[in-house]
Amino acid sequence: MTIKNNPKRLGVCLTISFGIWLVSCTLAGKETGPSGLFSVPEGFPEPVYNLAVNPVTEDGFQLGKKLFFDGRLSRDGTISCGECHNQAHSFTHHGHGFSHGIDGKEGFRNAQPIVNVAWQNSFFWDGGVFNLDLFAIAPIENPVEMDEKFPNVIEKLKKSEDYPKLFKKAFGTEEVTSERFLKALSQYMLSLVSANSRYDQYLAGKARLTETEMKGLALFKEKGCNTCHSGILFTDHSFRSNGLAAEYTGDLGRFRITENESDKNKFKVPTLRNIEVTYPYMHDGRFRNLEGVLEHYADGVQEVDNLDPALKKNPKPGIALTKEQQGQIIAFLKTLTDTEFLNNKRFSKF
Amino acid sequence: MSKSMKFQVLLCCSVFLFCGFSRYEKPKNTEGTVILKFNNLFNKEALDFEKAYTNAHGEKVKFTLLNYFISNIKLTKEDGSTYAVPQDSSYFLVKQSDPASKEITLNHIPSGKYSALTFTIGVDSLRNTMGIGSRTGALDVGATAKGMYWVWNSGYIFFKLEGTSPAAPEKQKNVFNYHIGGFGGYRSKTMNNIKTRTLAFKPVVVSNRKGPVIDINVEIDHFFDQVNPIKIAEKSSVMWGEFSTKISENYVSIFNLGNVSSK
Ligand code: HEC
Ligand code: HEC
Repeated sequence: MTIKNNPKRLGVCLTISFGIWLVSCTLAGKETGPSGLFSVPEGFPEPVYNLAVNPVTEDGFQLGKKLFFDGRLSRDGTISCGECHNQAHSFTHHGHGFSHGIDGKEGFRNAQPIVNVAWQNSFFWDGGVFNLDLFAIAPIENPVEMDEKFPNVIEKLKKSEDYPKLFKKAFGTEEVTSERFLKALSQYMLSLVSANSRYDQYLAGKARLTETEMKGLALFKEKGCNTCHSGILFTDHSFRSNGLAAEYTGDLGRFRITENESDKNKFKVPTLRNIEVTYPYMHDGRFRNLEGVLEHYADGVQEVDNLDPALKKNPKPGIALTKEQQGQIIAFLKTLTDTEFLNNKRFSKF
Repeated sequence: MSKSMKFQVLLCCSVFLFCGFSRYEKPKNTEGTVILKFNNLFNKEALDFEKAYTNAHGEKVKFTLLNYFISNIKLTKEDGSTYAVPQDSSYFLVKQSDPASKEITLNHIPSGKYSALTFTIGVDSLRNTMGIGSRTGALDVGATAKGMYWVWNSGYIFFKLEGTSPAAPEKQKNVFNYHIGGFGGYRSKTMNNIKTRTLAFKPVVVSNRKGPVIDINVEIDHFFDQVNPIKIAEKSSVMWGEFSTKISENYVSIFNLGNVSSK
């Protein structure tokens, strides 16, 4: 059978061909970025998130931001995402070891920063969620966080005065669907890109680091911190054990997801961007400051099951560091603070 | 003409030709309809949330919830060839609390004589890894699929059975719950409890907008004893972990053929 006697197929072919032509034109011409308002900072790799299926638009971003700061996403209207993810602290729960949610209930882990999530291939300390778009349902339904049923949230928004209009602006019609809701939240979170710390400026040749900071940077590499906290994102996104004593909370990390013995005690290697302001540290927030963290690496690493080989190079587990060297590394870590990001009005509630 | 433009033209022409010639139009078929009816039973009678039952281990039980996904439905013809219901319209959530959900109507089934039905209890791995845009209808986590999705460990719950029993711990308010899922993992291997069932029957004719009604009896009494003993007293709450695989072995085997009648 040929195309001639099948006008429907002809139409389909023409449409597909035209579509491909359009796409190839934009790719060749770079007229509009296929990712919308999202752009990859100098020196960053290609994002993991597929922006082609959810390009960031101004209206999508604004809708996502409103959702992020809206308590209506919780059962009793009191807890928004922003409650636990505070911009000034790189979107972590300032000062809380375990995050506090609805009715003041305490969760079992330390809130993670939301920064550069476009490059992340898994979410949560144990990597239980593998797609950013599927993430927001988790805190919404968590009984100690927002304690609401996701379908109820969608219903509430459908009935609200303000949201249908905003969904229309962002997605073309007033229909409130889970897909649109999640994509809008993703658009906001994807926009939280931190790439303008003093360290970045130093890399770009626009700023200088002090002698101490330079020594810290050198040690960070020499001593192998960058085996795990690697590259421009300061994480290789793997799951590893850095030798935290497990009995602290009994949290076995990645094992919870895979039930594989070799995953016991492993947690996602966190980014170190804005680390100065994301205290307390580690999945359970056991260290109040960076001094505590460095002491851990120098002196506190335990031979737990699956302790990472990178921390077993010396007779004594951990990383040999004098007090002075620890201070230098801390000085370097503080160059990863991106004040522009932490104060960017575009990201904040009001 | 710039180099890249030449490339574009070439690309479009080849795609155009490819779409045009690579697939032949199906010969115009008369089509029929197949209806699948899921009957949740206990001791051969319709399951009733109001009634108290006793399982094979002598444990008294009352049920409060029974939901399961049926997906990837395939029909096999007498000659061994198969027809798979198109993926995008092959996901169904059967809920005991929603009678309409227990009857699945499959339209556009090509005419022929069919002698077997295959379906997955749960949601296949691929769909479990797809983006939010491919999770509509029965799979919409913000609507129909309420409570049938694990948020902390992304994945659908395939089979969910809840109820009360004096055999369940008092501190748990005598509630038992079995939430079984596990699609095998995305970036690393995790539990895979995807189970597929094939039911064979005497050939039935599908043609001319007609076809059979296939009753599938889901024998909840045998959920507790079909393959592995599941004693509420020993395991009253199972959501993940090795034992969930044993449960999936049980529930796949309780989907049995009932009546097959022609319309
Ligand atoms: C009650 C506090 C609380 C609320 C409310 C909350 N979160 Fe979180 N968030 C956390 C904690 C704690 C973690 C880490 C949990 C874990 O790993 O188990 C986290 C982790 C995350 C992560 C993962 C980051 C990573 O690097 O993997 C993202 C993204 C996130 N939250 C977004 C949100 C969104 C969106 C909302 C609102 C829908 C929200 N959070 C509401 C406490 C909260
Ligand atoms: C073997 C891999 C590995 C090496 C080497 C390593 N880390 Fe880590 N680091 C981790 C992991 C994994 C965590 C999270 C552990 C947890 O919370 O259970 C972490 C956590 C941290 C944190 C806390 C982050 C937060 O958000 O709470 C800091 C700070 C840190 N590391 C700094 C360093 C420094 C400095 C070095 C070098 C002296 C270093 N790390 C070496 C794997 C490593």
